[in-house]
Amino acid sequence: MTTSPLALEPLFHIGPVPLTSPVLITWAIILLLGVGCFLASRRLTPRPSKLQCLLELVVGAIDDQIRNTMETEPARYRPLIGTIFLYVLVANWSSLVPGAEPPTAHLETDAALAFIVLGATVYFGVATRGLGGYLKTFAEPTWVMIPLNIVEQVTRTFSLIVRLFGNVMSGVFVIGIVLSLAGLLVPIPLMALDLLTGAVQAYIFAVLATVFIGAAVGERAKPHPSSDKSAEKPTGKPTE
Amino acid sequence: MHIDWWTLALQTVNVIILVWLLNHFLFKPVAAVIKARQAEANAILDEAAATKAEAETERTKARQANDRLAEAHQKALADIAAEAATEKAARLAAVGVEIDRLRATAEAELLDRARHADEIALNRASRLAVDIAGKLLDRLPADVRVAGFVDGLADAIAALPETTRSAMGQTGDDLTLKAPRALTDAERTAIQARLAEALGRKVAVTVEIEPTLIAGLELETPHAQVCNSFRADLARVASELTQHDKG
Repeated sequence: MTTSPLALEPLFHIGPVPLTSPVLITWAIILLLGVGCFLASRRLTPRPSKLQCLLELVVGAIDDQIRNTMETEPARYRPLIGTIFLYVLVANWSSLVPGAEPPTAHLETDAALAFIVLGATVYFGVATRGLGGYLKTFAEPTWVMIPLNIVEQVTRTFSLIVRLFGNVMSGVFVIGIVLSLAGLLVPIPLMALDLLTGAVQAYIFAVLATVFIGAAVGERAKPHPSSDKSAEKPTGKPTE
Repeated sequence: MHIDWWTLALQTVNVIILVWLLNHFLFKPVAAVIKARQAEANAILDEAAATKAEAETERTKARQANDRLAEAHQKALADIAAEAATEKAARLAAVGVEIDRLRATAEAELLDRARHADEIALNRASRLAVDIAGKLLDRLPADVRVAGFVDGLADAIAALPETTRSAMGQTGDDLTLKAPRALTDAERTAIQARLAEALGRKVAVTVEIEPTLIAGLELETPHAQVCNSFRADLARVASELTQHDKG
């Protein structure tokens, strides 16, 4: 009997909890990012160093993306959106480490991320609009759309999972196949392409999460004063 | 497809933990330092704007002060010019007055000098006339200088007012008779006879020699003088000439 290449085999157990490769690599990523950020943010000064400039560039880019998409102040949404982007990016690029397999190449990690986005969408929507206000959004533009809007919530979460999983998993598989055929130098262009794909997927995942949350927050989002289109509210449904 | 629910749950927890970690160690500190820098930049910009506004105010004040100084300078120059003009006019007037005074003084002095010169010239002419007349009379007989003038003197005395004639020789003083030379006894007698005839009484006469008479006789009393001599005639002529020149 042949096992599925997508199946996860526990590496070891802690009590009843099986620990798989994605979990361990995610812990490594958490350790890397946590310690790195702790060390990098210890000596922040008004006159930034090169490393601080890089950190400010990343944070500023995330803020600008949130501000431009949601047309509101990004502070409230920055931790979630920024973490999703950085985690997915680092997870996708972890394929460069020999023997490591990106956690995002497994459905469980992508599903966890998508469920977190779904939960955040509901949380921010209810927090901003109130429970009644949020539920009323399902009846927009008419009550006939309620089933479709509910289905949309599920399908777009599912699309988040599948999109990220499919892109990363395919890249891993292609590189694995090429490695099995020609192990020296040949996979390098594909690995570079995989880096680009991983960055793009991280960006897409973060932007879609921003759009979903923005749509849930919707008309109650406080316009940013510097935005030229502050009068316009993101009422449109996200396209996938 | 098989889903490992344990992995799904652990990954969910892992991502949530990562959200907290990155928020605590990355996003919050970096956002705070960015915000602090923006606040500091805004403060600097506000301070710069305030400083600029203050500088503009100071520059406006300086410009106004400069304008006031320039205006005061112009006013001072105008006042000085007006004062100088007034002083100039006053000095010109004073100088004009002084010039007029000096001119009047000079003209008066010139007039005096001219008058003095005329007098000198007249005196010289008189002396010249006297010399000429004397030299001419020297060619005549000596008695002509006296005898020829006795009748004229008596006629002049007779022409005097009665009160004058009656007062002559009444106070006890002798009448003074001036003659160009010493009189002979005959001449003295003839003259006293003519005077007695003219006055109607006999009077005492004291004779004084006065060569400047050239010729003729002059009778002097404390209150009257009767001249019948060349000197008197020449003096009258000179006076008439002078009056003629002035006229």
